Amino acid sequence: MSNQTASLALRKDWDGGVSPFGVSYGKLFMWFFLVSDALTFSSLLCAYGFIRHKFTGSWAEPNKVFTHFPFIHKDLPLAYVGFMTFDLIMSSVTMVLAVEAGHRKSRKEVVMWLFFTIIGGFIFVGSQCWEWYHFITGEETQQVARDYWMNGKHIIDAHFQGANLVANAYTMLPTFGDFFFCITGFHGFHVFSGVIINIVILIMVAKGVMDKRGHYEMVEKAGLYWHFVDLVWVFVFTFFYLL
Amino acid sequence: MSSFFEEYPDFPNYEEMAVHDETHGKQIRKKLWMVFWIMLIVTLIELVIGAFFSEQLSEINKEYTFIFFTVVKAFFIVWVFMHLGDEKKALKYVIIAPYTLFIFYLAFMAITEGAYSKVIGDAIESVVLHH
Repeated sequence: MSNQTASLALRKDWDGGVSPFGVSYGKLFMWFFLVSDALTFSSLLCAYGFIRHKFTGSWAEPNKVFTHFPFIHKDLPLAYVGFMTFDLIMSSVTMVLAVEAGHRKSRKEVVMWLFFTIIGGFIFVGSQCWEWYHFITGEETQQVARDYWMNGKHIIDAHFQGANLVANAYTMLPTFGDFFFCITGFHGFHVFSGVIINIVILIMVAKGVMDKRGHYEMVEKAGLYWHFVDLVWVFVFTFFYLL
Repeated sequence: MSSFFEEYPDFPNYEEMAVHDETHGKQIRKKLWMVFWIMLIVTLIELVIGAFFSEQLSEINKEYTFIFFTVVKAFFIVWVFMHLGDEKKALKYVIIAPYTLFIFYLAFMAITEGAYSKVIGDAIESVVLHH
């Protein structure tokens, strides 16, 4: 009997006329997009792990590279990245609260929580700019000698500070800087576009577009993207800063 | 949009079905905040290990510890924040299965190939980088 009902339910799902996944077209394809984007990030992180294990001995130690905190001139290993992680998790929570308020069709609450999410996003993007600035200029770090090629010239035993795409002061391997710029830059660009999407959605909600439409699914879809950005950061944080 | 529902009046409107009332919303919010505290505590543990205990742990133990904590956090984000846990079984499988399959394959290839190229990497390190 139970088998029969199960097969009946199965037939109903896959017989056409309904979505077998129980979600709308837009949400399903948001998920598919996120899976493909997740694969892009995974391949970047896998490439990072591959190169890192290839040069285990001379790779930079992250808790000796990322030790700076704004306005405090002391060595605080990983403190600022910890703050950035906290900020992104916090903005993820405000986003999911906006989605929850959307399910109750409470416009005021959606606007409030989306606003907090956008603030969190801006804090994160700004923090990343600050961190890139410190990584590139290498303030408060010592000068080291480096050989590298730049603009067709071979520069030998140059006094070097900070990092660029051909050399960095943190390790002998230029790949360390390259991966840092590539992966955190790609993620930062995702955060930035997420903030833009959230601003557009916030304006639409505030203007009452969702009420006219009868549902707040756009907030949910923007939320999926925003949580994905948080998800990627969790992995970048582990593989880049902790390990 | 409206023309689609005029043409197929029996097709369920999933966008409008995803609603709940205040009492149910209260339960959901409680769950969300609990997940937030779990994620915060896990992150703090990770930071303390990363900043103060990273020399005590061997490289491989450190990797397993951090990857374990990361997967825990990733699970909570996908399952609770992105609501994948509340979706139908078919959607769960169609999102998780291809990704997992591909990522295990990619990691396997990277680890296997990395084992040979480690030899080459060591040679480059000793000859080129340290003169």
